[in-house]
Amino acid sequence: HAQAPIRLKFQSTWPNKDIFHEFAGDYVKRVNAMTGGRVELELLPAGSVVPAFQMLDAVSSGILDGGHGVAAYWYGKNKAFSLFGTAPAFGWDADELLGWVRYGGGQALYDDLVQNTLKLNVVGMLSGPMPSQPLGWFKKEITSAADMKGMKYRTVGLGADLFKEFGAAVTIVPGGEIVPAIDRGLLDGAEFNNPSSDLVLGFPDVAKVYMLGSYHQALECFEILFNKTKFESLPKDVQEILRGASDATSATMMWKAQDRYSKDLEAIKARGVKVLPTPKPVLEAQLKAWDVVIANLSADPVFKKVVDSQKEWAKRIVGFRLEYEPDSKFAYDHFFKTA
Amino acid sequence: MQSILLGVDRLNAFIGKLFAWCIVILMLAICYEVFRRYVLRDPTTWAYDVSLMLYGTLFMMAGAYTLSRNGHVRGDFLYRKWRPTTQARTDLVLYFLFYFPGILALIYAGWGYFQLSYMLNEHSSFSPDGPVIWPFKAIIPFVGVMMLLQGVVEVVRCLICIRDGDWPQRLHDVEEMEKIILDEAAAKAEQQSRQEATLTAIERDATTRGSL
Amino acid sequence: MFISDPALGIVMLVLFLIFLMLGFPIAFTLMALGVGFGYFTQGDSIFNLFVQRTYSVMANDVLISIPLFLFMGYVIERANILDRLFRAIQLAAGWIPGSLAVATLITCALFATATGIVGAVVTLMGLLAFPAMLRAGYDTKIASGVVCAGGCLGILIPPSVMLILYGATAGVSVVKLYAAAFIPGITLAAMYMAYVVIRVIINPALAPKLPAEERNVPAGEIALALLTSFLPLVALIVSVLGCIIFGLATPSEAAAIGAMGAILLALAYRTFSVEKLKDSVFLTARASAMVCWLFVGSAVFSAVFALLGGQRVVEEFIMSLDLGPVGFLILTQIIIFVLGWPLEWTEIIVIFLPIFLPLLDHFGIDPIFFGVLVALNLQTSFLSPPVAMAPFYLKGVAPKHVSIDEIFSGVMPFIFIVVFAMALLYIFPGFALWLPNYLYGG
Ligand code: NA
Ligand code: NA
Repeated sequence: HAQAPIRLKFQSTWPNKDIFHEFAGDYVKRVNAMTGGRVELELLPAGSVVPAFQMLDAVSSGILDGGHGVAAYWYGKNKAFSLFGTAPAFGWDADELLGWVRYGGGQALYDDLVQNTLKLNVVGMLSGPMPSQPLGWFKKEITSAADMKGMKYRTVGLGADLFKEFGAAVTIVPGGEIVPAIDRGLLDGAEFNNPSSDLVLGFPDVAKVYMLGSYHQALECFEILFNKTKFESLPKDVQEILRGASDATSATMMWKAQDRYSKDLEAIKARGVKVLPTPKPVLEAQLKAWDVVIANLSADPVFKKVVDSQKEWAKRIVGFRLEYEPDSKFAYDHFFKTA
Repeated sequence: MQSILLGVDRLNAFIGKLFAWCIVILMLAICYEVFRRYVLRDPTTWAYDVSLMLYGTLFMMAGAYTLSRNGHVRGDFLYRKWRPTTQARTDLVLYFLFYFPGILALIYAGWGYFQLSYMLNEHSSFSPDGPVIWPFKAIIPFVGVMMLLQGVVEVVRCLICIRDGDWPQRLHDVEEMEKIILDEAAAKAEQQSRQEATLTAIERDATTRGSL
Repeated sequence: MFISDPALGIVMLVLFLIFLMLGFPIAFTLMALGVGFGYFTQGDSIFNLFVQRTYSVMANDVLISIPLFLFMGYVIERANILDRLFRAIQLAAGWIPGSLAVATLITCALFATATGIVGAVVTLMGLLAFPAMLRAGYDTKIASGVVCAGGCLGILIPPSVMLILYGATAGVSVVKLYAAAFIPGITLAAMYMAYVVIRVIINPALAPKLPAEERNVPAGEIALALLTSFLPLVALIVSVLGCIIFGLATPSEAAAIGAMGAILLALAYRTFSVEKLKDSVFLTARASAMVCWLFVGSAVFSAVFALLGGQRVVEEFIMSLDLGPVGFLILTQIIIFVLGWPLEWTEIIVIFLPIFLPLLDHFGIDPIFFGVLVALNLQTSFLSPPVAMAPFYLKGVAPKHVSIDEIFSGVMPFIFIVVFAMALLYIFPGFALWLPNYLYGG
């Protein structure tokens, strides 16, 4: 007679149809399969037990056993949290951010922030590297930083501080609430994350200009959370599976994103949306704004310690990559560029 | 005893009415934000957080005041038809079964929720300069205590009603238009013929619930 | 021990339906059941859930516009704007068959739209228009049906608090809902008028013509009355609604500006005072508390219902009926119609609708379209016995010889008109969807 499975309530911070919820589902399926039915994660979309922005509190206090989200959502608790999801654009990518988490001292800094500074009863795993995020969706093309002055704009995490330097009125809302907020005039412009999510969340219905490639969130990763008491009460091998499945789906997520994001960008273009790169002057202004944001927030010693560690890592690792790798555009153009 | 009851009633009404003025501040704050955005093209960074806080404070702080005026909506299609003593007996039981456990939970959990936020000096996560949020969260346990006190008063009202056979008078207050008009009509009817039964029944029908 | 006893969720729902009838304030009944069942199955963590859900109502930006619209409504209601409005419209409508009834409907529609407070509109019109119609020899049934049905239009025609509540519950755009409800709302008002006019043409005895001196008012006098009493209120409503629908301002912003406009209008009419401002402020606080505490109770109740898996059982049950979209639509509308007999719209929207809403996606039904159908349907919740607030209010102020049964039978044809309008909307969804699609695209 088989033992009853251990059931864990696992809520994402994403709407049901978002590809991010699918990623959360991939993790859940993997865990359920790897434990051979001993553990059953039950996946719920944002809002079914608590709203997206309350997921961390809910996991820490045991309302939920676990959840899938991004560290930037806990920005109100401490701005340093955002560094573990969407860090400054030091030229590195999200895969290199996860390298820092594993081999550059990031995980220890994360655990220290969560458990000692914020006294949260959670275990967190950083996973799932994301490509650079678009500047977002607008009614009119953005040609300079001045175009965003006075604009009601949605982003999350440190990106919010960045655009504050631009003079934008930044309002931070969870993914599922962005398009309704644009609908009712709360926002003039907004970014969420990627072509697949943006398409299904309905951005093409409310805005016709999509600007790609921005430094405000040049890299980001997901965060899988568990209630610490619950996690530690699980058998050791199950704990290991929960961690191992996070690594495994980190890779599959990236591969799936390659396929889906590229297809959905074409679908967005087919909807008559004008897709444009973020212009150089805006990118320059963003880098300057990053200097200001980092300098301001480094007044907090916790923030400073983390960001210094990141800089050190990015300097070495990105330096290595630039020295080591040939130019991919050069090869791409050779094979695929049509005159 | 009576004076303590009325004291609690008055206190909750005072708090409720004081914070009711949030609506005027809310109206002015939003109009100012609209002016800044559309005329000066320079929106505020605080309007979103401030309007949420004013709205949340307004309705939370009015919770006990509304209870003291019997203003929380009831599913009363049977209740209306009962004699006052039957109403009071049912209410009495249900205050202990439904009301107090929930309100005590609100105080207990609300206190912990507020404390954590206070410890972190938590700021709003809706904007980069989000204001501190723990005073807003402190409203939850505070309102819980107000509701608890008001609940005790309502229980005593039930007891008085069971003893006297009719509901004790509530404090006089501003009323919904239909209640004012119906009361006047009832008074007039009473003048004309002696106590017309249907009209008072109808009046009771129409006034045990909120009026939206 | 852990959770997932979906049967328990169903028990909770059934218990709620039973306890609902005991007449205890619903917000607290919901809270108690949610916390109780939650504690039984989840243990201490339910307390955190409870407080988090409470906080999420406090931090719900869609609901900000509710106290603001209520405030605007109370200011307009307290400022004695109604008599002027009715007088002006009555003068202008003198030439129409059943002119008093038509004027009543127009006044109701406008005033109810500006205030959104059904009770006030029905009682005020019951004092003003109802005796006027009876004096003019109108059929009692027609007169009472017109006052009751007209008084309820305010919750359908935007800007309406009901649609905000639906938007917050269903997570759909209030702006699109407003755009969608606009044409059906106006159409329903027009259908009421057409019904009255046709009945009067067929049987003129139902609504005798007014004496000639009341019909032949100089055009100048009519124009002046309209200019001073009709136009300002219409301008206020149109500008509030226009700002929202054309995306110039959020509903909360438009509501704040509307409230400010209402105060200015009342000042201009010299019918406002500090006393009236105070009344409006305190009434706003109480009405907002009533609605929002209901949200608090329902938030914890529905969270526990979902945690227990009750929602899934309901969904599986409905799916197992193997209904098509049409069947599902008819089933839900019938349930809502029946719930409207004992209950009012607030309870239905906040508590019962969330059970059906997740299924819309499965049946491919547009939640905006569904919302307009529900809003139409809920018109009947005010009119249908046994709990028919509009007839009750009218009975309270009507002359003694008018019986409640007379009022009920007067209201009946208007309930049929609503049902007819729903059928029409179902056959021609464009009535609701054309405007939002036109304004905001696919
Ligand atoms: Na983003
Ligand atoms: Na009814």
